[in-house]
Amino acid sequence: MSTFSGLNTAYTALSAARKGLDVIGQNIANATTEGYTRQRVATSAVGALSTVGPLSGQPTVGQGVAVDSIARLGNAYLDQRVRLTAATAGNTAVRANVMSALEISLQEPGENGLSTQLADFWSAWQDVSNQPGELAPTAVLLEQAGSVVAQISSGYKDLQSQWTGLRNQAAGMVAELNSAGAQVAQLNAQIRTTLANGGSVNELLDQRNNFTTAIAALTGATVRNLDDGSAEVLVGGNALVSGDTFRPVALAAGTELGHQVTLEWSHRPGVSLGLVSGELAGALAMLAPADGAKTGGAIAEAAAAYNVLATNLADQVNAQHRLGFTTAGAAGGDFFRAGVTGPAATTLRVIPTSASEIASSSGGALGGGNADAISQIGAGTSSPDNLWASFVTTIGVAARTELRQAEYAEMAATSASNTQLSNASVDLDEENVNMLTYQVAYQGAARVMTAVDEMLDTLINRTGLVGR
Amino acid sequence: MVDRVTSQTMMRSAQRNLQTSVAQLAKVQNMASSLAKISKPSDDPIGTANSMRVRAEQRAVEQHSRNINDANGWLTTVDTALSSTTSILLKVRDLTVQGANDGAMSATAKEAIAIEIESLRAELMNVANRQYTGRSVFAGTSSAGVAVDSTYAFAATQEVTRRIGSDSTVRVDADGASLFGSGDESVFALLDNIARDLREGTNVNSRITEIDARRTTVLGAQAAVGARQAQVDRADEINSSKSVSLEAERSDIEDIDLAKVILDLQLQENTYQAALAVTARVLQPTLMDFLR
Repeated sequence: MSTFSGLNTAYTALSAARKGLDVIGQNIANATTEGYTRQRVATSAVGALSTVGPLSGQPTVGQGVAVDSIARLGNAYLDQRVRLTAATAGNTAVRANVMSALEISLQEPGENGLSTQLADFWSAWQDVSNQPGELAPTAVLLEQAGSVVAQISSGYKDLQSQWTGLRNQAAGMVAELNSAGAQVAQLNAQIRTTLANGGSVNELLDQRNNFTTAIAALTGATVRNLDDGSAEVLVGGNALVSGDTFRPVALAAGTELGHQVTLEWSHRPGVSLGLVSGELAGALAMLAPADGAKTGGAIAEAAAAYNVLATNLADQVNAQHRLGFTTAGAAGGDFFRAGVTGPAATTLRVIPTSASEIASSSGGALGGGNADAISQIGAGTSSPDNLWASFVTTIGVAARTELRQAEYAEMAATSASNTQLSNASVDLDEENVNMLTYQVAYQGAARVMTAVDEMLDTLINRTGLVGR
Repeated sequence: MVDRVTSQTMMRSAQRNLQTSVAQLAKVQNMASSLAKISKPSDDPIGTANSMRVRAEQRAVEQHSRNINDANGWLTTVDTALSSTTSILLKVRDLTVQGANDGAMSATAKEAIAIEIESLRAELMNVANRQYTGRSVFAGTSSAGVAVDSTYAFAATQEVTRRIGSDSTVRVDADGASLFGSGDESVFALLDNIARDLREGTNVNSRITEIDARRTTVLGAQAAVGARQAQVDRADEINSSKSVSLEAERSDIEDIDLAKVILDLQLQENTYQAALAVTARVLQPTLMDFLR
């Protein structure tokens, strides 16, 4: 036991307390930094030196305190929960957004919806039935038919632009994903090197966590931490990031409504990522083309419903219109024409342009029987009106479900992120208390140093002066 | 694990609670200002479907009411024409009875009666060609300008009907050919024959039966028109009451209960203000306020 060892012990205490204060400074400085995880100084008591020799039987005191590391108080389980819930929340949020834009474009219920236009259209036929061959009711009928056609077409075009908008959004997400993936790879390399050199990687881990959470929200990726400090990001079982390698992804073709859009590996074109969760999965599901079972992408299914409606309207009105006669006695032709190329909803046109082309009669020049029969199509069980109503209801129910799911998923995500934050975020009160502790510890250590100093002073300067 | 509470988690939950509160406030405000319960299908999918059905029915009822008005116009015109026909036929009968008094009537007097009967025939022709909104009411669905031409042939082909309810139609014209007869069998030819008989000195007594037969036909037709008129009136009544109940139904589905929404709005405003006040107090103090 050296005479001066007390000084050294006090010095280790001073230095540990200073380190503690430094870390508190870092915590407080980053109290509002996104993704920052609070840190603590981990210390341990240094044991006594083992002694040998004749005096070894004496009890010895420890050598002070050692700063072992600066611990990052993160929790891998909580981080994983945040990623998992973020993926679900991202997925449902995209779907809910699409569905609510979709249902708003229907403009139902109310006076601006297609159902009102259709009802007006059938009524216009009644007026023609009352006054066949007259200019005014015919003009109203043709006008109304035109507005039904325009409404169907504009509804369809709304869907097209919504699809394109979502496609662009998905492209933006892919760019974000690629950038985040590249960053994770880069951070992996840095972390590995720093760890190998014995440095502290706490801040780098925070940054990497931010990026992996972003990737998880986009793709539902899972993260595996490896022993060398790097993290592996897996999407559908395949590594997006592994060590310092990142494999970029790209959106494959599919540039207009009805096309299949897939997310594939850039280095293996044609191989899909197989996403099941995350914002990108939601966007891709909504972008999918329609299938026969009405389980395809919501936008494409809605577009298909518009086409079915347009075809049904044209077929039913045409079939009845052909049975009638014009005021001149000629047999009626088609009333609507759906284009051969392109979707029925946008190519639907009204053929007659004047009263003389409208087959309102089922007998006699001024008969209105056929016009009346056409007006009754709207009341039939397989009427376009019913098709439309069931379409609107289906969208409404689906939108309601999606909105609810999004709400629940959002709640789960918020709760997960709250739990994570409550574990990892900096609490100023706590830091204040710790600051006081370290401050006092520092003062105490300084005091010990002074005491030892005075003791030595007595020993060196005052010893042997008795009797002088 | 007991949740640690830090200034950041407190801030976050305060923010989220305020956001929830203000979102609800916005929703109630939107409801109160738009006065609509359903602004998009997902608010109430079933209500949306009902609303669309009720609106379509309302439109149909509106159209039926127009059809009923039109049917009324037609039937009134037909009815007036038939009344005129009856009174003309009565006049003709009187004149014929007068002309049948062979002994008392001079040739000149008979000639005067014949002329009057001919003018009544012209008047009857006018009646048979009565029009409503440009359509001859006895011409059926034909587009001929007049219902009966100079050869006393009727152009009528088929019935004219109006839809007065979602599943009922009513005939609004009358068959001119069976009412007035056509060609040589027509009432016009009968009047011509009477005038000719009077001029030729043939006794017209036998014609009185023919006139009476025609009058009976017309009266019968008028009764039928009256019955149809009653049917239209009834349909009108039903239609009106249906219109009222449909509007009530629509309002029930689509419109908000204003009193309730205003109450909700007030409540939500209070909640929001309370949340603001509480948040302002909770987030203020830290340990730093109490350290020297």
